[in-house]
Amino acid sequence: MLNMYGTALQSRLMLGTSQYPSPASLAESVKTSNTQIVTVSLRRESGDSLAGQHFWQMIQSLNVHVLPNTAGCHTVKEAVTTAHMAREVFKTDWIKLEVIGEQDTLQPDVYALVDAARLLVQDGFKVFPYCTEDLSVAGKLLDVGCEVLMPWGAPIGSGRGLNNPYGLRTLRAHFPDVPLVIDAGIGLPSHAAQAMELGYDMILLNTAVAKAGDPAKMAGAFAQAIEAGRSAYEAGPIEKRDMAEPSTPVLGKAYLV
Amino acid sequence: MNIVINGEPKVVHTEGLQDVLHELGYQNKVIVTALNGHFVSEPNRQQIQLKEGDKVEVLAPMQGG
Amino acid sequence: MNIAIIGAGVAGLTCATEFVARGAKVTIYEKGPSIGEQACSWWAGGMLAPWCEGETAESSVVKLGQHAKSWWKTHTAQVQENGTLVFALDRDLSELRTFAKRTTDYQSVGAQEIAQLEPDLGERFSQGLFFPEEAHIDPRKSILSLFDQLVSAGVIFKFNCEVEPGTLSGFECVVDCTGLAAQDAIPELRGVKGEMLLLRSRDVTLQRSIRLLHPRIPLYVVPRGNGLFMVGATMIENTERTRVSARSVFEMLGSAFALHPAFSEAEIVEIGVDARPAYLNNLPKVNWRGKVLTVNGMYRHGFLLAPVMARVAANAIFEGYQIPELMDEYCY
Repeated sequence: MLNMYGTALQSRLMLGTSQYPSPASLAESVKTSNTQIVTVSLRRESGDSLAGQHFWQMIQSLNVHVLPNTAGCHTVKEAVTTAHMAREVFKTDWIKLEVIGEQDTLQPDVYALVDAARLLVQDGFKVFPYCTEDLSVAGKLLDVGCEVLMPWGAPIGSGRGLNNPYGLRTLRAHFPDVPLVIDAGIGLPSHAAQAMELGYDMILLNTAVAKAGDPAKMAGAFAQAIEAGRSAYEAGPIEKRDMAEPSTPVLGKAYLV
Repeated sequence: MNIVINGEPKVVHTEGLQDVLHELGYQNKVIVTALNGHFVSEPNRQQIQLKEGDKVEVLAPMQGG
Repeated sequence: MNIAIIGAGVAGLTCATEFVARGAKVTIYEKGPSIGEQACSWWAGGMLAPWCEGETAESSVVKLGQHAKSWWKTHTAQVQENGTLVFALDRDLSELRTFAKRTTDYQSVGAQEIAQLEPDLGERFSQGLFFPEEAHIDPRKSILSLFDQLVSAGVIFKFNCEVEPGTLSGFECVVDCTGLAAQDAIPELRGVKGEMLLLRSRDVTLQRSIRLLHPRIPLYVVPRGNGLFMVGATMIENTERTRVSARSVFEMLGSAFALHPAFSEAEIVEIGVDARPAYLNNLPKVNWRGKVLTVNGMYRHGFLLAPVMARVAANAIFEGYQIPELMDEYCY
């Protein structure tokens, strides 16, 4: 069982809530994925609109933990203010910290990310930072008090899977006891399984499920793949070899020439 | 009084932030507010008096990845 | 039978047409001063494109939407049956491949066929998908045409009349076709805001609806004749029925320009916005709420599905037909 900030979790799949074809599709996907955590955001709402109210009612009815994000924030001030607002509305100390540095790849601005993380940890937040596989940034995030890291697999929404499995493997090896969540860029269940086989603790999915032809079915497929990958990791997989080694023993073979 | 709500200029007839929110239809809604870029927590909304030109953000839960 | 309909948008007018055909006396209450811009229908694209909608909509939409073309042909004589062409820019070709996987009843077309179908787009796209059975109408002319025919058929229109369904008396049935205005009575309804543009250009001609796929803002361009083009539309989970954002206009114009550079010199004739009424699964529903029949939730399929929903409503009223739970069961 996974433990993040004192919360025990059975599911190793986290689900984003944006870009689904309909709210019904989102609700179904949450169910078929068996996820226990969904990410949410904050947006402007006008006085006569009920959109946010309806969305929030639906999310609450799904009985999952909520992880608010600071999506769209580019500066420390924006991210920290958004986090405070999210804490009041969603009544949770959990915050998925995103501070975007570049518009095409949506890479994090790592300097602002670490600064914002420091301020939020001091303020009692449980920070889930969206970062890259850079070891020194990871180290600094842990130094300022983050207890979980969320490195990207590939740019947000790109569906490419794990762009840098070597970097991700190194990150896992450097911080063996930190819960690591792959956040961003996953496209196929096999990508998720690959990350779990590397020893990653959880996968956060949004586009891969929401933009699939049948989101609920895809969510179920991902749940199975993540379970498979985790079991495989725990079962101790064999290593790659260069040469063949027959799987059937040769001793005792009949001499039939 | 002219203020800006969620980027839109609006004329409001009260001064307290909480009263303005009522005036604009936000009572009993799940929302959170900021004034001129700073978070205003719910208990503090009673105390805040708005001035001409103030920029208020009213946010609600929304889909996010 | 005396029936009152509230709302003179596409839902109310198609219902009235079906009810009149079965001999009913119909009165329509409309809160606006005339058939016009207070209705979501006024801002619609007018595409009758059931197969293209298969990309994201349920199969029942694809099946039931196929009845739309013949219904509109029967009742308005203004249906352009030139199909739909679907494109993507080179860097978004993965969107075209995905679209092709999720839809049916199209032909893959290359540069030559594209040039034959749309000479003005021939140089710009070397591959696309052509949906030959699809069609388009001018939504405003169509609802005005229905209005004229209903008036000739003796239907009474009461404009500037905002009424609550429960307060009407003297009718055997009251049908609520008020779209998003019914939100208070139907809490499961949500709004999906849409912004659109009407552009005029004499430098480009199109015969059919064009879809330009894109990961964030897919565009459709529907020719309305006389150099007029409807360009749309955004889809924002919001009940806002006013306020066009600069970003939406910027992105739509940018896509139009990517489709054909002539659109950069086009005159912006209108910028429009409204919010589409939608249920949680984006499928329309006909429902009894007490004694009132509600026809709502058309989402982006108003002109495509209103004819079928009108028939379901008529069957429910005149034949006591049991309204099915699921839209799939409407596929008769």
